[in-house]
Amino acid sequence: MIDTVDLRKSISIEDDNIIKDIKSKSIDKLKLSYKKYKEEYKYTPLLRNIEKKFGSFNSSKNIKKVDSYKDLISTNDKYYIVTLNGTFIENLSKIPNGIDIKNLKDLSKNEQNIFIHSYSKIDDSIDDIFSSINSILHSNCLTFRIKKSTILKEKISIINIVDSSKPTYFRKCFIIDKNSEVSFSEEFINITKDGNFSNSVNEIYMDENAVLNYFSTQNINKNYHYNSINVFQKRNSTSNFHTYSFSGSIIRNNLNIKLLDKSCFANMYGFYAIKNGSHIDNHTSVDHLDENSISNEHYKGIVDNGSNGVFNGKIFVRQKAQKTNAFQSNNNILLSDNAKVNTKPQLEIWADDVKCSHGCTVGQLDDDALFYLMSRGISRKDAISLLLSAFSTDITEKIEDKEIREEYQLMILKELEGLNYE
Amino acid sequence: MLEIKNLHASIDNTKILNGLDLSVNAGEVHAIMGPNGSGKSTLASVIAGREDYDVTDGEINFQGNELSDIGPDERAREGIFLAFQYPVEIPGVSTTNFMKTAVNQIRESKGEKPLDAVEFLKLMKEKMKLVNIKQELLSRSINEGFSGGEKKRNEIFQMAMLNPKLSILDETDSGLDIDALKIVSKGVNALKSKENATVVVTHYQRLLEYIVPDFVHVLMDGKIVKSGDKNLALELEEKGYDWIKVKN
Repeated sequence: MIDTVDLRKSISIEDDNIIKDIKSKSIDKLKLSYKKYKEEYKYTPLLRNIEKKFGSFNSSKNIKKVDSYKDLISTNDKYYIVTLNGTFIENLSKIPNGIDIKNLKDLSKNEQNIFIHSYSKIDDSIDDIFSSINSILHSNCLTFRIKKSTILKEKISIINIVDSSKPTYFRKCFIIDKNSEVSFSEEFINITKDGNFSNSVNEIYMDENAVLNYFSTQNINKNYHYNSINVFQKRNSTSNFHTYSFSGSIIRNNLNIKLLDKSCFANMYGFYAIKNGSHIDNHTSVDHLDENSISNEHYKGIVDNGSNGVFNGKIFVRQKAQKTNAFQSNNNILLSDNAKVNTKPQLEIWADDVKCSHGCTVGQLDDDALFYLMSRGISRKDAISLLLSAFSTDITEKIEDKEIREEYQLMILKELEGLNYE
Repeated sequence: MLEIKNLHASIDNTKILNGLDLSVNAGEVHAIMGPNGSGKSTLASVIAGREDYDVTDGEINFQGNELSDIGPDERAREGIFLAFQYPVEIPGVSTTNFMKTAVNQIRESKGEKPLDAVEFLKLMKEKMKLVNIKQELLSRSINEGFSGGEKKRNEIFQMAMLNPKLSILDETDSGLDIDALKIVSKGVNALKSKENATVVVTHYQRLLEYIVPDFVHVLMDGKIVKSGDKNLALELEEKGYDWIKVKN
């Protein structure tokens, strides 16, 4: 069991009483989530690795000078939000109109009250020990408020810089008001090539008719990363998640969506090309609580020599959620005898009038197709790239915006070159 | 141009070719005929360099180069083309993109400048006419959802695009109705010249009415048991393959 004395100590120094109270409750959640760890992390030994590497979960209290990070911010996006070890760096960020981005502690009491309904309420602290620990140890929650009927066509980059020899905690809470539409992409940039651990928890509340596009990119070499994105959706809202993972000693992604109301729409798409002994674990759940909602999930991945992929997808259809459509699929290509994938689709249905499907495949590169391409003069290496990038198109073509789609297709092409095929 | 001597080949330890000899010169059309399972498609695949087959003995020389250590991509660059009996469907790669990559890799291997988008489109339009294929079809995933006739026309279109020295047509007539057969044959005949050669693999004489061979070879049990001119094909059609078995 994890030593809670240390964790309680960190809560005791909290000066905001409301936040202190919420964090104290997370200690109880930790006990629950710890019991689930063994099952939830069957193929992903994250806890053992982090304990061994850092000894303690506490983050560093040293404040870094921020100016030196300026050069790291490279994005084509017009708007960007920068955080360093979980702290919002306002003077390196560029925020569009219609969105308020502030630390929870800096909000007025009125504003704070709005977030208190979501903060530590939407996350998966009860189920996942790393979210419980994040709930206790993060120092500052960054709040995003997208005001009513704000339509933002430009994507906003969230750039998280990780530079610490101790674990780092990132915490964000989003409220997307009625009739708003917004797109974010989020990435983590590690200053060192190995040895960092970043733990990030996002809670997203989407009001009626809200539309959210959310892109995550993970390419963190030999660092460790925990990422939990949790979404509550109200009536007629639409969420589109796109998760692209390429490298990391261990990456664990949780994506949990609750469709609380009627006529919600949730799309979860993921692509991974895992190399250099990386280990990438995608755990997703979508919970249909009311009628007439649709969820689509499709994850595809390529795993090379010595690398590991894990996929676990859960669909819940509650008794009240008649006329639900829920689809899930996971396809993998293994490039070597020493590549590994553990995939587990799960379906739990209590309603009777629903349409659901789930399935997974694990295969190899198609030799007939490879010979066909090569017999026209295309080199083996390029024929493999063509086939692998073709494998990814089902996922990338789901990105509606042409510019963003091309940006990700290009990124994938580059990453596919680094794969080893035997 | 192509010189095959004493070729032995097997797949998964099953011997398929047993000492096959064949000589093809520029400007010639050769037909390889034979019953099912005689090794016709194996011969086509082995010449194209399919790695599933083991060449256990003998040699294949193409324009003076021994091919045994050369992969299918390099053979294609040397000018060998195989029109597949069962063209492979490849989701997610368009024929246009595929051909652009292939044409330019072949050009680069010869030290030629790659074609730009405009030049490529011009070449493509010209070759499309030859086999009556629409651009819409070529912008779709390779062979995915194509009819049998469309797949075979796509093979001949690719052949026209790559302008090979030696074309091997593996059962190109299978699955074709008479109209499609005419279109495909017209394409093959239009591409014929004094500099290139064609090997037609078939087990019916029908295709040879449209693509007239200079030589006909009968393949049985992995070797060529009889060679002749186009009249041999007619005789075979009349008497069946048993006629040769009995004679031997």
